Amino acid sequence: MPQIFLDGQAFEARTEQTVLQVALEHGVFIPRLCWHPKLSVAGNCRICVVQVEGRSWVEIACNMPVSEGLRVLTDSPLVREHRKATMQFITLNHPVDCGICDKAGECTLQDYHVAFNGEASISREPKVQATKFHRLSERITLDNERCILCTRCVRFTREVSKSNALGVKNRGDHSLIRPAEGDDVRLLDDDAYSENIVDICPVGALLSTRLLYKERVWYLQATPSVCPGCARGCAIDVWHRKPEWKLRTLDARHNTAIVRVTPRDNPAVNGPWICNKGRDLALLLERPRADAALRKGRAVALDEALAAARELIGRARHPVALVSSWGSDEELAALDDALGDRFTCFVKDDHLPADGEVVEDDLLIRADKNPNGRTARARFGHQALQFAPDTDLVLVWGEGCDFGRLPRGVPVIFLNAFLAAENGHAEVFFPTSVHTERDGHFTNADGVRSAFSRCVDRPTGVVDAERVFRALASVPAGVAP
Amino acid sequence: MAELRERDAKILMTFPVTASSHLLAEARARGAYAALDKALRTMTPQQVAKEVLASGLQGRGGAAFPTGRKWAVIQYDDGQPHYLCANADEGEPGTFKDRWILENSPHQLVESMLIAAYALQVRHAFVYMRGEFSAPFRRLQGALDEARAAGLVGENILGTGFGCDIMIYRGAGSYVCGEASALLSSIEGKRGYPRNRPPRLTVKGLYQQPTVVNNVETLSNIAWIVQHGAEAFKAVGTPKHPGTRLISISGHIARPGVYEIEVGYRWRQLIYDDCGGMQHGAALKCVIPGGISTKVLTGAEIETLNLDPAEVEPAGSSMGSGGMVAIAEGTCMVRLLQVMLRFYHHESCGQCTPCREGMGWLHRLIDRIVDGQGRLDDLDMMARISRLQDGNTICGMGDAAGYATLGILAKYRHEFEHWIREGRSMYEGNLECRRSS
Ligand SMILES: Cc1cc2nc3c(=O)[nH]c(=O)nc-3n(C[C@H](O)[C@H](O)[C@H](O)COP(=O)(O)O)c2cc1C
Ligand code: SF4
Ligand code: SF4
Ligand code: SF4
Repeated sequence: MPQIFLDGQAFEARTEQTVLQVALEHGVFIPRLCWHPKLSVAGNCRICVVQVEGRSWVEIACNMPVSEGLRVLTDSPLVREHRKATMQFITLNHPVDCGICDKAGECTLQDYHVAFNGEASISREPKVQATKFHRLSERITLDNERCILCTRCVRFTREVSKSNALGVKNRGDHSLIRPAEGDDVRLLDDDAYSENIVDICPVGALLSTRLLYKERVWYLQATPSVCPGCARGCAIDVWHRKPEWKLRTLDARHNTAIVRVTPRDNPAVNGPWICNKGRDLALLLERPRADAALRKGRAVALDEALAAARELIGRARHPVALVSSWGSDEELAALDDALGDRFTCFVKDDHLPADGEVVEDDLLIRADKNPNGRTARARFGHQALQFAPDTDLVLVWGEGCDFGRLPRGVPVIFLNAFLAAENGHAEVFFPTSVHTERDGHFTNADGVRSAFSRCVDRPTGVVDAERVFRALASVPAGVAP
Repeated sequence: MAELRERDAKILMTFPVTASSHLLAEARARGAYAALDKALRTMTPQQVAKEVLASGLQGRGGAAFPTGRKWAVIQYDDGQPHYLCANADEGEPGTFKDRWILENSPHQLVESMLIAAYALQVRHAFVYMRGEFSAPFRRLQGALDEARAAGLVGENILGTGFGCDIMIYRGAGSYVCGEASALLSSIEGKRGYPRNRPPRLTVKGLYQQPTVVNNVETLSNIAWIVQHGAEAFKAVGTPKHPGTRLISISGHIARPGVYEIEVGYRWRQLIYDDCGGMQHGAALKCVIPGGISTKVLTGAEIETLNLDPAEVEPAGSSMGSGGMVAIAEGTCMVRLLQVMLRFYHHESCGQCTPCREGMGWLHRLIDRIVDGQGRLDDLDMMARISRLQDGNTICGMGDAAGYATLGILAKYRHEFEHWIREGRSMYEGNLECRRSS
């Protein structure tokens, strides 16, 4: 374990580390733009310069191996001079159009400009102009004037997502990030992880086309959550409008909408990445919602529905439950506690891979498109669904059940979050919450348990499945009320 | 300065060039491939490498790095594949000396590369050749075909069991691809971006394997060194900088061309005797010693200097790549620098911030001065930009452009000030040397 000194203070380092890694690990600040912990070292932005004591020049910390007794200054006058110069070089041809840039407020370049430069441009030359709205793929818009050519996006598509979709075209200050193959956007379109480059772009060059000019980040707040898109259960941040910035005039849905989803670094699950399906959580969760309990298709008060369900359960001798693999650990436990003894339970895949969806790959995406199948099966077993001839009640929880395959004439209690024709076909129907409307946990395919928090309030009329299960508990078997 | 012994030894340009002097038969008649025979039959790889180290040979590509020390990093018997690349990119403006070897003495390079490949235990060697070179390409390819037919390249060379193939890879017109690591990326089929060091190329080079990149001229000395021994080589030139240098001289010189000089040769003698002085009898204003990335020296400065790094470097410049440009009195240095900065701006690969942005900045700035819109403090800004690029870029190009700018600004600032004040050149913007009427 070599010992190195940063600004005179000793730190233990590991042989394979670079000075930058040691510094970050111990909370010593060294700025960086092109360096990313999960990508190869490019060493091109030159902002991470440091000075080895006794040398009259600067070197980049991201590519400096540690060695016993190495003494490095991270904030010497020479380092400061070069950092400032680098910021001046970077902003030389940068349009500084922060006022209309979606990245403003979370842009590394803005932060570093304030920290290391703080001056207006010292150049008198006109700026190099470049494409402002280049369609890099269906999802991603590129502003070449803001691009600082750190090549993070290029390296991501080569080293992480392996689509090799991007490259650099032209030379010098006319370099442009472009599709690697001609002007073919398909490689990036087909990259199931492409939107990560929007996050890792240190500036506002890569923009989500869907969100372009739609939101300002300072009106948003991030709530830690878990993506339900597959059994990986990626840690995510769900961004939604801050309550204090609640809109009173426009469509009220703005106040509860999932504006965007970003990865929340969890080394045990997803690292700093998520797939594009996770980004599109709103498409999944903001489908039209069921918001009224139903009795044979007729809206009823929740209590009336509960009473009807209790009656059905009370009458049943051989009830069967199809358990949702989207239920949280807590909901599954509640079902088990409340009805586990009374029902024969089968775990159901609420979702199967959709047409054209990546089924599985060796980065994150898992073939099981449900977040909590592992816990569900640990509790209720792996047996395949089979209705005994004497089945006299079916409780269906969640999507993915073909009602046509349920035993004929047997009453159904149905819990579902979304509007669907089946809701009205059930004897009793409960409109349930989605996981962004409550707290809970999912346990992913590898057994990692992750918490999610309530991001927004439940819509009126919607009930948590857990509450339904508890209310249905302790109905004795075979006793007519 | 004490007159030294006559320095007229030749290592490379030892024969009259004729229509057939590049062919194998004539090269063999001059003794080609004897050194290869000697190395393969009588020396171990280690002995060859030791001989090169002892010779004190230094790189002729610009940085004058000791060749033997570069080779010593390679463990010839470590069982991994090693690669050797001859750098025939010859991109440094003013430099065209490797071209002389490629066109007129290709077997000297082939033989030397085979010896180097033996010393480094290389099975596949490459020549990275400037894309614009077509005659040199045909000559070298012809030489390789001849050598292969004669059992000198390929499997089992000279029946010794040693095998080595040499492939020519042609560049696509990028200056930066002459930088050793960019060159390797280019061979790998990637964009010609220079790489960060560490790792050194001798540790991780082509395809991440230990690789030696040497200039064509550097390598071409190897056969001679093996044939005559390190001691004989050290007897040529000066003890600190042994050997000869090929100088390609151009500009306003009466007889431009490639000259082989022994290190320590008198500069005056090269310019005034060998090259016949300046065109139209003009006076010598200044000299760019070794490619435009080396700092300019005035006519007065070179008057007493010998062509020896030990003298050129203390004078504030370097012998660089041997691409010498002689510039006549009456040439406008503002325009000259403008041309140079246009080149650097055009050639910056754009990878690292200071060079990518700084080159364009300098270029636009000097364009503005030439347009008559300059201000005096622009000159300080140019110096500042140059200084801040220095030492903070991935490859040497950022530094090089800075040196060039600082060199000209330091010595000819008054020409820039004149242009800024008067709105026009002190020398009518001349870049040509005109016959005085
Ligand atoms: C921008 C740039 C361009 C270069 N171009 C060439 C070139 O055209 N030919 C060459 O031999 N070396 C060139 N070099 C130097 C090479 O990087 C390398 O040092 C050299 O080939 C090593 O060979 P040597 O040790 O035999 O001199 C260049 C360096 C830089 C930074
Ligand atoms: S688009 Fe963003 S991530 Fe890509 S090179 Fe430019 S600044 Fe870097
Ligand atoms: S990999 Fe699975 S859990 Fe992760 S973001 Fe994609 S769909 Fe969601
Ligand atoms: S110094 Fe210039 S040419 Fe060299 S790597 Fe950096 S940008 Fe490219």
